[in-house]
Amino acid sequence: MSAPRSAAPGRRGRVLRLYAPLGLYLLFTIVPFYWMLVFALTPAGSTAPVPWPVTFDHFATVWNGLGYAVFFRNSVIVGVWSLAVTTVLAVMGGYALARYRFRGRTLFMVVLLCTQFIPGAMMLIPLFTIFKSLHLINSLGSLIVADTVFNLPLSIILMSGFVSAVPFSVEEAAMVDGCTRPRAFLAVVLPQLRPGLIAVGSFAFIHTWNNFLFALMFVSRQDSFTIPVGLSYTIGEYSADFGALAAGGVVAALPVVCVFAVVQRYLVRGISAGAVKG
Amino acid sequence: MKIRTAWAAFAVLALAAGGCGSGSGSDDGSGKTTITFWDNNGGARTPVYQELIKRFEQANPTIHVEYVGVPIASVQQKYDTAVAGGDTPDVGGVTTSYLANLVGQQALEPADDWLAKSPVNGKLAKPMLDSVRATVPDGKLYLVPNTSNMDVVWYLKDLLPTPPGTWDEFFTDADTLTKAPDQYGYTIRGGAGSIFQVLAEMYSYSGISEFFDATGKSTVNDPKNVEFLTKMASLYKKDTPEADVTNDFPKMVAQFGTGKIAMMHHNLGSYNDHVKAHGADKIGAFALPAGPSGKRTIVANPVDGFAVFKNSAHKDAAWKFVEFLVSKESNSYWNSKTGQIPANTEAQTDSWVAALPHLKTAVDTLADPGTTVVSPPYYLPQFSSITKADTEPLFQKVLLGQMKPQAFLDTLAQKLTDAQAEWKKAHGG
Amino acid sequence: MATMRRKAVPYLLISPTVALIAAFLVYPIGSVAYYSLQNRNLTRPWADGFAGLENFRRMLFEDELFWHSLGFTAKWVIVEVGLQLLLGLALALIVNESFIGRALARSLVFSPWAVSGVLTTGIWILLYTPGTGVLRFLGRPEAAVLGNPDTVFPAVIVAELWRGVPFFAILLLAGLQGIPGELYEAASVDGAGRLRRFRHVTLPQLRDAIVLATLLRSVWEFNNVDLLYTLTGGGPAQVTTTLPLYVAQRAVDSKDFGYGSALTMAGFVILLFCSILYLRLSRFGAQR
Repeated sequence: MSAPRSAAPGRRGRVLRLYAPLGLYLLFTIVPFYWMLVFALTPAGSTAPVPWPVTFDHFATVWNGLGYAVFFRNSVIVGVWSLAVTTVLAVMGGYALARYRFRGRTLFMVVLLCTQFIPGAMMLIPLFTIFKSLHLINSLGSLIVADTVFNLPLSIILMSGFVSAVPFSVEEAAMVDGCTRPRAFLAVVLPQLRPGLIAVGSFAFIHTWNNFLFALMFVSRQDSFTIPVGLSYTIGEYSADFGALAAGGVVAALPVVCVFAVVQRYLVRGISAGAVKG
Repeated sequence: MKIRTAWAAFAVLALAAGGCGSGSGSDDGSGKTTITFWDNNGGARTPVYQELIKRFEQANPTIHVEYVGVPIASVQQKYDTAVAGGDTPDVGGVTTSYLANLVGQQALEPADDWLAKSPVNGKLAKPMLDSVRATVPDGKLYLVPNTSNMDVVWYLKDLLPTPPGTWDEFFTDADTLTKAPDQYGYTIRGGAGSIFQVLAEMYSYSGISEFFDATGKSTVNDPKNVEFLTKMASLYKKDTPEADVTNDFPKMVAQFGTGKIAMMHHNLGSYNDHVKAHGADKIGAFALPAGPSGKRTIVANPVDGFAVFKNSAHKDAAWKFVEFLVSKESNSYWNSKTGQIPANTEAQTDSWVAALPHLKTAVDTLADPGTTVVSPPYYLPQFSSITKADTEPLFQKVLLGQMKPQAFLDTLAQKLTDAQAEWKKAHGG
Repeated sequence: MATMRRKAVPYLLISPTVALIAAFLVYPIGSVAYYSLQNRNLTRPWADGFAGLENFRRMLFEDELFWHSLGFTAKWVIVEVGLQLLLGLALALIVNESFIGRALARSLVFSPWAVSGVLTTGIWILLYTPGTGVLRFLGRPEAAVLGNPDTVFPAVIVAELWRGVPFFAILLLAGLQGIPGELYEAASVDGAGRLRRFRHVTLPQLRDAIVLATLLRSVWEFNNVDLLYTLTGGGPAQVTTTLPLYVAQRAVDSKDFGYGSALTMAGFVILLFCSILYLRLSRFGAQR
């Protein structure tokens, strides 16, 4: 681990410095999740703080009645595609920003930022018109494109930060060893970017996974809606079914949390990178 | 390179998932006509429509109906985007509260010609048809009524054995049912949707029967209305929860569902929510009480129904579907599932109507010759903007004691009067 | 030839992005600018047409709510992002240490980020509503944090922290991983304690990551509408109305698209100015 080891660890210091704040924060994190679980598992009208008596009615409502199975599949497709395209383009753009001083570099950065200054709701109609002329309306393709376009600027800026953190000397050393620049990039830079890739990739995936506005506005087919649309079905003027919302929430959050649990291990720099640098 | 494997597996999964389904085009060459139907309140009511569509397709094998459920909170935005982008459905659920806007954008097809020749002609409730026609300048029927709603006060029978008959009794009940620390007699809707409910309460108290007087001035700030609002606002935090000030419908229902609140004003549409939380035998409903004048006045709810869009390429099929939806059997099925008043007069006489106490209360109240129905100016395209974004925050100020009821109602009245004058001018009235 | 090709490399790398932005964002942003100079109101179609600077005049000189929402937006962004940064940094440092159960702790503290806006607000409504919420177990069964003008601000801040802190934590943890271990070793050899190593090694090395994350998050929180819209609707009595929420009320709810566009342009100019100023002041990307 790169984290330094304390000169005098001392159990008490560790508890105060590490476990106490972490425990408090975990409590803050878990209570809302717990509340969601309680409401997902108890009948409507129950106010008990424990999930008892248990019912699975809400899950049946969202999975069968509201069609979450299809929404779920669509969310995965859109999320993964957007993640893949965003990450590849972000590495390219981020590398250009971090490693080259080219004409228009500052302008490019400002333009990237500018794209984030206008709320999506204000751009719906022109975006809709563009997608319609490209025959993308009513397809998951429109969501993949729209979400990628909106994720990309931030992802590039973030990625450029991660690329600059990798010392150029590492790349030079590889090139001296006879690698071409692309090869040097793939062999030594990319492995070191692993934490950055995870961070940017999850950013892109999660924003796509959670985007409600585009998912509702650019798609008008029941079998092409995504999970956020399904979630919003549960709360409306004539029906506020918090049990169904919570059950839908469990369905929506569980896979992402699980994938995260696996992926977070890679938030650690590649071991090979250390060897090259050595 | 474990990470690569993980990503690869993830990607393969997604691509594989992409391979199945999503291949059903709109015209699959089988000679079937596909029409799209947008439900303006997708969610809990989706299964009801799915059942009706199944029946319709069985009776009309050459037509396929594609159902799209739009969440009610976003339905206007969805329609506005679709109309601007030229990608509207064939049939859509529409209510009179945004009908004027859609007609103003020339998005809808009038139903008069179809209705004249249709077997349902003469079977749709006249007050609902009139209400739809009064919403647009040309007096045409741009939406075919499916259902009507009425404001009621829901109450818990355990806490309140006999419902109040007058507003005075209501205020007394609200007082006596409030017990520290957290049991309340009533809950005021202070968040989104507040103004409409306040209007309904005020007019039922004051007994005023018109929204505008002969000179085109709004009657909203009539002294009787001010008197009522002053009384009602004084209940806040005394007989109602503090949370009320930002409570929209979902938050109200969440709170009422805990059983700590005796009475809650909403409309027939939330019946299923209350049954789910309390059980059908624990919940009752009464019409908004009469005021000191003894007259019963009811503010008409928006009429909810179906519209055919101008851009539809399959208008014949679209009308056929609408006709099916408002036919006796379908209309009866839909309204019995949602607990609202059927637009089809034949469906109104079905036995389930009388068997649902809340619905019987509503139907009896509306049928009572002593009841006056006041129509809010849904024809004003600004009506929803005035009664939502413009004045909802001001109503919160009234509850918080930062604004006097008189000043609030004066502001609201002025906005309505101005909008009415501008509308009259624009339409040469 | 070789130098020409070398010079073309960065342009080639950014070309797909430039193409996407040109195809999908230039026209929509331009249309907002265009409509800000128009009367465009679906509820008053008879009055549509060129408005000149009228929308801006109304906004600057007649609309108290514009200024009020601007003030609240500033407060919201500064407090929210400031707290997210502090907690996120602390959290990143903690889960960067090695301890038993670290993998589990990491996945747990990061997980709220994965929860969508609709759901986040739904959960917090349940947590804050008296009767279904958490406060009745803390001895305040009647407390209505969202309804009280004094408590609504901390309440919405906490709800947004829940899903916002993980973003910082992840980015900064990734940043921490990029700090070469030998820097710490050198500092240790020099006899630097934990605190000094943090100040002289960790913070400077993280500077760019912090600057970027703060900037991006500020822009994001500035334009974030969903949480406040559902949780408070901007209330009570507009005390939690941010500029974009006000835009949504005007352009979406009241269908006054022209005026909403003018408000959006105001937000655009403010964000542009603040971002450039921030990047300058923080000397982002300066060689150390």
